[in-house]
Order: sequence, then C-alpha cells, then structure tokens
Amino acid sequence: MTTALPPRPARTPAQVYRQSLWLLTARDLKVRYATSWLGYVWSVLDPLVMAIIYWFVFTQIVDRTIGEAPYIVFLLAGLLPWMWFNGAVGDATRAFIKDAKLVRSTRIPRTVWVNRIVLSKGIEFVAAIPVIAVFAVIFGAELTLGVLWLPVAIVLQAVLTVGLGLIIAPLVVFFRDLERAVKLILRFLFYASPIIYGLSDLPAGLGLWASFNPLAGIISLYRAAFFPDQLDARAVLIAAAMSILILGVGVLVFRRMVRAVLKEV
Amino acid sequence: MAAPESAGRADVVIRVRGAGIRFRRNRRGRRSFKDLFAGRNRRSRPGEFWALRGVDVEVRAGEAIGVVGRNGQGKSTLLKLVAGVMLPDEGSVDVVGGVAPLIEITGGFVDDLTVRENVYLTAGLHGMAKHEIDARYDEIIDFAELRDFVGTPYKHLSSGMKVRLAFSVISRLEEPILLVDEVLAVGDKAFRDKCYARIDELLAGGRTLFFVSHNERDLKRFCTRGLYLDGGALVLDAPIRDVLAAYGRDHGGTAVAE
Repeated sequence: MTTALPPRPARTPAQVYRQSLWLLTARDLKVRYATSWLGYVWSVLDPLVMAIIYWFVFTQIVDRTIGEAPYIVFLLAGLLPWMWFNGAVGDATRAFIKDAKLVRSTRIPRTVWVNRIVLSKGIEFVAAIPVIAVFAVIFGAELTLGVLWLPVAIVLQAVLTVGLGLIIAPLVVFFRDLERAVKLILRFLFYASPIIYGLSDLPAGLGLWASFNPLAGIISLYRAAFFPDQLDARAVLIAAAMSILILGVGVLVFRRMVRAVLKEV
Repeated sequence: MAAPESAGRADVVIRVRGAGIRFRRNRRGRRSFKDLFAGRNRRSRPGEFWALRGVDVEVRAGEAIGVVGRNGQGKSTLLKLVAGVMLPDEGSVDVVGGVAPLIEITGGFVDDLTVRENVYLTAGLHGMAKHEIDARYDEIIDFAELRDFVGTPYKHLSSGMKVRLAFSVISRLEEPILLVDEVLAVGDKAFRDKCYARIDELLAGGRTLFFVSHNERDLKRFCTRGLYLDGGALVLDAPIRDVLAAYGRDHGGTAVAE
C-alpha cells in the first residue's frame, strides 16, 4: 500500500498566480492548435484576408486618400493589434461561463480567468508580428526608430484589454444580453478606430474626440514603426490615461462582483 | 467547545467566524439589461435567503469532522466556504495551509481534455508543480484504475471512472486538509473500500478531514467530532456520537442507515 507523503511545501501567492495563469494560457493555446491542422496559419490568415480585402477596395477600386503607402503594411499594423483586442474582449464575455466547472472547484486567484485570455491572445499577436515584417520587406516599407514604441504599445494594450475584461467578464454572468451587446460594440469600434484609416485622416475637430478611444493612441504607437508621422503624442497620452482609468474601474467592478459570480457560475 | 482529546493543543487550521452566505431563491431568473436600467427598487433583493448564517467553528490540525444535516441545510455550502471556492457575504473563513477539496462529483475536470491532460491541469490548478505531478502521475492513474484510458477524453468515461479519477487526484494533492462531500456514494464497493483505506492513511498521517455524509457508519468510522447543520445554522458541535444521536432524534433516525 502507498504511504502518505508529508504535506507539500507551501507556495507563495506569486508562484500560485504565475502557475495557474500559465497552465490555463497554455491550455487555451494547445486546444486551439491541437484541434486544427493549420494551427498557426489560421490565426494569421484571418487578419491577412481582411487586410487584402481592404487593400483591394481602397487601392484597386477607389483611389486611396486615407492612410499611408504601402497601404497593406499600414493596414496590417492596425489589424493585427485589433485582432488581439477583438479576440480578447470577445472571449472575455465567456471567461467564467466556458470553464464554469473549473471556476467552481478551484480557488486560484479569480483574475486569472480573465488574464489568461488576454495573455493567450497576446501571444498569438506577437507570433503574428513576423507577417508584417514579411510584407514590409516585399512592399519596401522602411523600418524606423519608431519601432522602439512597440513594447509601450503592447503594455498599454494589455492594460486596456485586462481592464475591459475585468468589467465585462463578471457582468456577463448576470446580464447575458451583454454578450451580444459586446459583439455589436466591437463591430462598431472596428470602424470607429483608426484601423483602415489614420487619426489624421479624420475631419478637423473629430480627431480629439476620436483620441478618447484608447485604441487610437495605441495603434498610432504600433504604426510609428513604419510611419513616424502617424505617431500622435496627444492621442498616446489620452490612451495611456484612459487605459489606466479603465483598468482601475475594472479592478473595482471585479472586486465588487466576484462573490456573486462564484455563486452564480 | 468539545475538541477531542487526541487533538490536544494542536494549531487551529480552520477558523470560521460568524460566516454567512446568501443565495437567490430563483437561480434561473437571470437579470437582463432591462433590470440594470430599471432603477434601484427593482434591483432590491426580495428573493434571497441565507444558506448559512452565523456559523462559528474552529478546527485544529488532525481533527476529523463529520458534517450532518438534511439536504439543503448548508452542508455543502460550508464545505465550499472552507475550500475557498465561494466567499462569505458576512463573517470570515480563514484556512491555514492548503485544502484538497473533493466537493464536485466531477472534480472540476474538463470534458474535452484527455484523462492525462486533466490530471495535469487539475492538479496544477490546485497548486502542484509539474515535477510533483510527474512523481505522482503513475500512482494517480493506477489508483483510479484508468491505465488503459489515459488518452481517452474525459467525457467518454463512465460516471464510476470519473469519481475514481477525482478521488485519486484530490487525495494525492498532499494538502493538510481534505474535504470530502458525498461523492463516494457513487463508486462501487471495491473502490469505496480503497478510498476508505486512503482516507485512514491520510488521517494517520495527521491530515485534517471535513466529511459530509448521510451514512452513519462512515461518519462513525472516520470522525471524532460532528457538526449538525439545520436551516443554515450550526445547531450542535459535539462528539460525533452525540451529534448523530441528536440528528436521529430530530428526524426519526430514518434518514441515516445503520
């Protein structure tokens, strides 16, 4: 018969957090890639097809007056971060529902349920960055020092997405309608954010208001790698302030609702 | 409070103070967006009840506690509070050291993952490092008698296999506190005997046991102290014999099988 081993050494909260975050992130990625043959290609194909459609419409059908050339690189620099944002916020609506069994039976820090989504989608985003590099080489887009803003852009986007996830995930448990509302808002936001156009293409006066959408400043940071003129300091500062504000609201909402969520899932 | 002699001056590992938790009476009645904007009074909560209220318990290391009560009187809720998978609305629940909770018949396993993946995921989420799981993996599988099914998706297992796997993983977490809800009633007799031997072993190793059961024989076998819950309140905290006697008196002794 087996012997009862002595209790395992206790782990620090940080260790527990990291381990559970990584376990769930890795599982998300594994499930996504193990079940499909093309795996990685799919996560790149989606933004790529969209980029080609918009490129075709705006350069081959109508004369492009928005964005910068090469337009396909301009598009990808906005579309890839958008895929991360869209995927993470969209999946956050199911953060608790999808893994209800695990949520009910383990006591890992609850924010992990949201953060693993942002992390796994973020890893896919980083893995897709080489695609832009390939297109930049093909179409002769010149890499500038603006690429140094890339880490800042990633951090800001992570802050923003985590904040939104912390607000949306617990609310959806009580208001299922929110799941569909979020989808609709995301679709609106795609056109309301400077993805297929640049912030400077907006009519004068609208630019300031558009900057209150934190994605405007964040995408301008990404684009600075190839298009230094796209960098809009005012938009970036507003984006940073908005992202931190949203994260703060998210933490408050999440803390208030977590008790009720655990009863409901 | 009558702590058994054997516990002596051992440290308090579970401290429940004035704990209360309330639920909505109608779980299915989800609120929709309309309610959110319908103003404060519509959102007041007439349909809520306290599943547990004003519960005070202190448990010392090495105690074996049986929780008794009719269905719906708060037994499982108390276990969930101790397991930390639910948080009290009032009062506090403090647990020193880790908890190995066997409170859901499914053990929280994921349908689409294989047995092997589930073992690593669940044990990992309960705080086990990968090398610790590696060291125990074979034993977990052998104990659950699932050697031929490690690559099978969890959803294809029979309900008996699921319980075996859950008990096998949770009882191998090596945590100082073990919580067992009435899940063992499902397994066949041979496996139940094996589980009981494992629980005996863990108790001999100084573990603390929180045990919910309707089976008087099991309660007497493992537990020294009993908690009797009724209507969400702790009505009696005494040696298990006294608790079972009181429970039998209140409910005609028919609910428990001797």
